[in-house]
Amino acid sequence: MLRFKHLSYLRQCVVLLLVLLLFAWLSLFTWSIVPVSASQALMAIMAPDDAIIAHHIVLDIRLPRVLIAGLVGACLAVAGAIMQSLTRNPLASPSVLGVNAGAALGMAAVSTVTPWLGFFGISTAAILGGAIAWGIVMLLGTAWRGGNEHGRLVLAGVAVSALCAALMKAMIILHEDQASAVLTWLAGSVAGASWHQWQHFWPIASLSLLGAFLMSPTLNLLNLGDDNARSLGAKLGWTRVICSLLVLVLVGSALSIAGAIAFIGLLVPHMSKALVGQDNRKILPLTAIMGAALVVMADTLSRAIIYPTETPVGAIIALIGAPFFIYMVRTRTA
Amino acid sequence: MSLSTHDLSVGYHDKAIVKQVNLSIPDGKFIALLGPNGCGKSTLLKAIARILTPLSGQVHWHGENLHKIPSNQLAKSLALLPQTQPIPEGIKVFDLIAYGRSPYTGFWGRLNTEDKRIIDRVMQETEVTELADQLVSELSGGQRQRVWLAMTLAQDTPYLLLDEPTTYMDLSHQVELMHLLRKLNQQGKTIITVLHDINQAARYCDHLIVMKEGEIITQGSPDSVLTRDMLKTVFSLNAQIHQDPIAKTPMCVVE
Repeated sequence: MLRFKHLSYLRQCVVLLLVLLLFAWLSLFTWSIVPVSASQALMAIMAPDDAIIAHHIVLDIRLPRVLIAGLVGACLAVAGAIMQSLTRNPLASPSVLGVNAGAALGMAAVSTVTPWLGFFGISTAAILGGAIAWGIVMLLGTAWRGGNEHGRLVLAGVAVSALCAALMKAMIILHEDQASAVLTWLAGSVAGASWHQWQHFWPIASLSLLGAFLMSPTLNLLNLGDDNARSLGAKLGWTRVICSLLVLVLVGSALSIAGAIAFIGLLVPHMSKALVGQDNRKILPLTAIMGAALVVMADTLSRAIIYPTETPVGAIIALIGAPFFIYMVRTRTA
Repeated sequence: MSLSTHDLSVGYHDKAIVKQVNLSIPDGKFIALLGPNGCGKSTLLKAIARILTPLSGQVHWHGENLHKIPSNQLAKSLALLPQTQPIPEGIKVFDLIAYGRSPYTGFWGRLNTEDKRIIDRVMQETEVTELADQLVSELSGGQRQRVWLAMTLAQDTPYLLLDEPTTYMDLSHQVELMHLLRKLNQQGKTIITVLHDINQAARYCDHLIVMKEGEIITQGSPDSVLTRDMLKTVFSLNAQIHQDPIAKTPMCVVE
């Protein structure tokens, strides 16, 4: 880890990209009920053959799943990094500030009350729900006035999350027939990934990621405090609106596909800050790669743990994330 | 007079702290804003630096409303050193000062040789060159204040607005700072600084503006402004005015 920290930024990115590709490749062939070999996984992509079942499994089931898992990880991680700069609060992340819970409530509302709306309805509901919950948290936490009151913002996030969770439970109880779909979603899983989902997901997600990278120099100025940022010529109002929208689209679209995956947005930005410092121009790309690698790895593990039954990937990430986060908090304060 | 205010009222939540101020900032001067706590001097400074939007009235920059000028263009003309600064985590001294160049560096913030030359110069002026690779969060209060000042100077603006820049500094660094500011003023910068130490203001600045309860009471050269009457009405102090034996500037001694 120490040696890795002293590599140049470009090399760090390359190494992590290779790690991501390695995880992705492993994910294509491991723990499959129909045996797939490591070379078949590569051949299926480079020279697909209709006659080989393994190729079908790789191309139709595994590949979209890996792609979606990676992109979901990248979106959530980058969203967390943006939120931390935006609120100047190191604890800010989609799950802590109520975006996850709000999106979950929105999804639950749509899938229990109006299930005929389909995928687009669900992701819109997730984005709207997340937006409303986050807006309330920011107002209660008086976050727009500067990052002095870290505790207040987090408390508001916890309170709003609890309220959303309670409302969602009420909805599930009232519409029991839809309960299992919502519960699966709540656990967080990419097991149902399909090319259809990917087609809807990747254009929105990659555009938002690109937008986030373009905002990174301005996000750096926000770290200096409102007065300094303004004095340096940053347009604070616009920056906040654009960044908030980016966060909502990133989180909403990722959650509507993969369900409630927590910890990525909190954990991964801190991992990349430990490597490259506080420069968002470096943090965001690294965060995207690491977030993708982490979710792809967790998804592979989610199939391995009680093979052949699948464990929700959200649970795996929480299992890895919670101890790691405690370790990080302890080493930071020490 | 490139910078002026017209019936300017500024405040928070509709409560005016600066009331209907008409002020022309004389170009090329080293100006001190004086007044008791809560008189609105910081608020006025922030309005001039377009950090605060006026409740009514306007700030004019070369005859144009300040808030209509593109913020990036203005950032090359006016720089503000705020009174309280956040303590940024994980940012090195050099990188923080480099942010002062962001109005010039274009979108992605890449530094060219000119930017680096200016950063080197301001680091020498503020004596933080040897701190370049340290983290800002690990510096002492006085060092940090000099680093923030360096960032503001790196903005390389003809107008410099400072809100109590000597806070957190020990006496020798305060004196060095005032000497540096006077040197920058002689090189052509207009400097407006909020100060608490009246004697310091009278000694180094050549124009004093005195405020009380959101209004400007008097302004002018230290000799004309620093009077027994003014100290009585503005600060409720009984004080005598003597001549500083070294600088020959007026100096107040409280009775």
